[in-house]
Amino acid sequence: MPEQAEKITVALSSIPNTGKTTLFNRLTGAGQNTGNWPGVSVEKKIGNFPLGEYEISLVDLPGAYALSPVTEEEKIVRSYFLKTPPAVILNIVDAGNLYRSLGMTLQMSTSGLPMVVAVNMIDEKSKLDIALLSSHLGVPVIPISARSGRGLPELKQALYEVINKSERTHVPHISCPPILEKAARELSGKIIPGGPLEKMDSNFLAMRLLEEKTPSDAILKTGLGNFIQLWRDRIEKSTGETIPITCAKCRFNAARGLVIEVTGQKSNPPNKQTERIDRVLLHRWFGLPLFLLIMFLLFQAVYGLGAPLQTYVGQGFDVAESWLRLQSSIARQSDWMQSFLFDGLWQGLGVVISFFPIIALFFIFMSLIEASGYMARAAFLMDNLMHRLDLDGKAFINLLLGYGCNVPAIMGTRILSSHHSRVVTILLIPFTICTARLQVFVFLSTILFSTAVAPLILFALYLGSFIVIVLTGFLLKILHIGGRPEPFIMEIPPYRMPTLTNVALRTWQELKDFLYRAAPLIIAGVVLVWFLTHFPANVPAAGAETWAGRLGHLFSPLFHPLGIHWQETVALLFGLIAKEIVVGAMAVIYGGDLSNQVFQHISPLQGLSFMVFTLFYTPCVATIAAIKAESGSWKITLFSLILGLVIAWLASLVLYQTGLVLGFR
Amino acid sequence: MKQTKEHFKQNPGVECIIQSLGADEKTAQRLAQMGVLPGVTLQILRIAPFGATVEVSVGGGQSFALRKDELTALNCRIVAMPLTCPDLHPEIAYRIRSLSGGKKFQQRMETQGIHPGLFIKITNTTMPGIVLQLIDQKKTVTLGRGEAEKIIIEVIDA
Repeated sequence: MPEQAEKITVALSSIPNTGKTTLFNRLTGAGQNTGNWPGVSVEKKIGNFPLGEYEISLVDLPGAYALSPVTEEEKIVRSYFLKTPPAVILNIVDAGNLYRSLGMTLQMSTSGLPMVVAVNMIDEKSKLDIALLSSHLGVPVIPISARSGRGLPELKQALYEVINKSERTHVPHISCPPILEKAARELSGKIIPGGPLEKMDSNFLAMRLLEEKTPSDAILKTGLGNFIQLWRDRIEKSTGETIPITCAKCRFNAARGLVIEVTGQKSNPPNKQTERIDRVLLHRWFGLPLFLLIMFLLFQAVYGLGAPLQTYVGQGFDVAESWLRLQSSIARQSDWMQSFLFDGLWQGLGVVISFFPIIALFFIFMSLIEASGYMARAAFLMDNLMHRLDLDGKAFINLLLGYGCNVPAIMGTRILSSHHSRVVTILLIPFTICTARLQVFVFLSTILFSTAVAPLILFALYLGSFIVIVLTGFLLKILHIGGRPEPFIMEIPPYRMPTLTNVALRTWQELKDFLYRAAPLIIAGVVLVWFLTHFPANVPAAGAETWAGRLGHLFSPLFHPLGIHWQETVALLFGLIAKEIVVGAMAVIYGGDLSNQVFQHISPLQGLSFMVFTLFYTPCVATIAAIKAESGSWKITLFSLILGLVIAWLASLVLYQTGLVLGFR
Repeated sequence: MKQTKEHFKQNPGVECIIQSLGADEKTAQRLAQMGVLPGVTLQILRIAPFGATVEVSVGGGQSFALRKDELTALNCRIVAMPLTCPDLHPEIAYRIRSLSGGKKFQQRMETQGIHPGLFIKITNTTMPGIVLQLIDQKKTVTLGRGEAEKIIIEVIDA
């Protein structure tokens, strides 16, 4: 029977911070698929659940305040409604703050599409006249608690009934200035909605065209461009403001009246508990030290716990490898086949698996911070510093966590509030010193420098990383990479207890995502490096005769001015797999006792130049894969790759040549 | 002159009514679609550590963070402010709107004759304390900054 079930698309839509994710998780459980909306770094989630004889496909739309978009997320929501209208809209509103929620609810309810409104009673005490709200909106309204699951059977029942009887009986009318109403009336008479838009109210479509002519008209193909523009000009001249603002005023006038009727109150009592917590956490003097303490604990929790786990996983992998090598079916294979299996595929798999512990820990703690409401506070505290780079304050957390590992830090950018912030942060994270890079620096600086100088070298590298992040941030700002920043008006939600289900599902999703979206690219990258360093056949691996060695020689005119020999160029190539193996690769390439070899072949200045290059060029294939998966764009991925190489080359060049001029060697 | 005025507006405890949505179209649209519209009352809750970012609550419910420039663009009309606000005019009479401290604080103020609804004038702010003239009772009271911070006064429309 499940195969024959009719598939019904329901769109879950609301403004941010209403408990939408909790409801989505409640309804669909673990049966979710995530991806990106086409062309943008905004997450798309779809979950399925059975409802009577139907199979519901629930689309989790990004949080949006209105259908005339300001943000990237809202553009997605608008296009979704106009291009592929769902069979039913499921809207969730926050009972504790009805006024804020109702603007969007009213706008969606005028669409004429079948709709169900779930009132999330986050605060159990709120008293609402549900029946009155329902009759005003012209759609069923069901009180629920997304957190406890109360009211969900009734919500499903209401959904079921709306699917069976999809004609709306009443579409609310929001009164607007007469000239706007007249324009909408005239325009709606000329639109003949066809295809998927048939069920939509023509007045609603007319409003879409008036509020935001350019893309809406392209989607609706009315051919009424000039007619619409004429009315728009007349209306804006008469009201003295843009149409979306006029419409928002009308909606919120209606919402204000509705709230008073439904709750009997004019405004919400302030949240006492949140006020008390914020008096400490956002304190004028203690706020920042507390934030830094929380960040320190976060960093420790993710990497302090994650690093040993990573080691265990690595050891397990080695044990499995030695066992596999003994298996007769594998031992029978030719040498190069075995090399391909173990040094290529198996190592690639090992790189993928090694990220699991830190990604899991990262998202467990990040979801706790996000769901509790502290993330918005962190952004508030750091806003002024990050604003100088046109970033929001949350980006600070991602950059900071990049100093542990770039991969989860980049995956975590989806927490950021705007497309612009996400792209810029993704491009900046690769310039942090992750723990793998740190290993290379510690190793080389202890060999090449005295114990007194080595720590200073490390400090200088951290400083260099920081300076490059700030300078690149300004560069990206000037170049407008990632588009224009969106207006910064951030909601600061009340503190809430995170739910275990949300945290667990989130972490599970991220691991699954990493496996599906990043892992193939990582393994492909590792195999490519294996190929370059092991072929042509019958030459010593990683030697001068391999493709990698030849590449090293080929690029030597480029690397010579940096004081980097072809052997190290090959090591840098290996470094693409993971920075942890750079040192090991040098051991293979130089042969013999590595410390001695390094000491003989590389001067301190050359070593420093090599470290600077290592600091700024591409962190590893896993980072590239994460950038591709997160940005959903090859253009951004390629840009990041080139940006890293160019900055690494320039920084090393300036350092090495200045050093030579100053008489160092 | 303008600077002191803005400074005065963006003090924690200040309550004001939005009069415009500012010139930046995108920001104005964002605010409007969040229900932050002319006529709505804003209360300034706190200023972020490096300044420039302000947390406000709208209509007593939702809190938002926005930047000082954006707040300035809202051209708010002040309706109430704490006694510690700089450049309160010494000659003007104000009315006490509320006492934001706890019960003990309110009782202590009551014993000094300070309670909501009272008309006052500020006579001296240069001293470490703030000297209040209680107009109806024809006496003066000296308050510490910590106390004055919790007393919200409102402008009396002439």
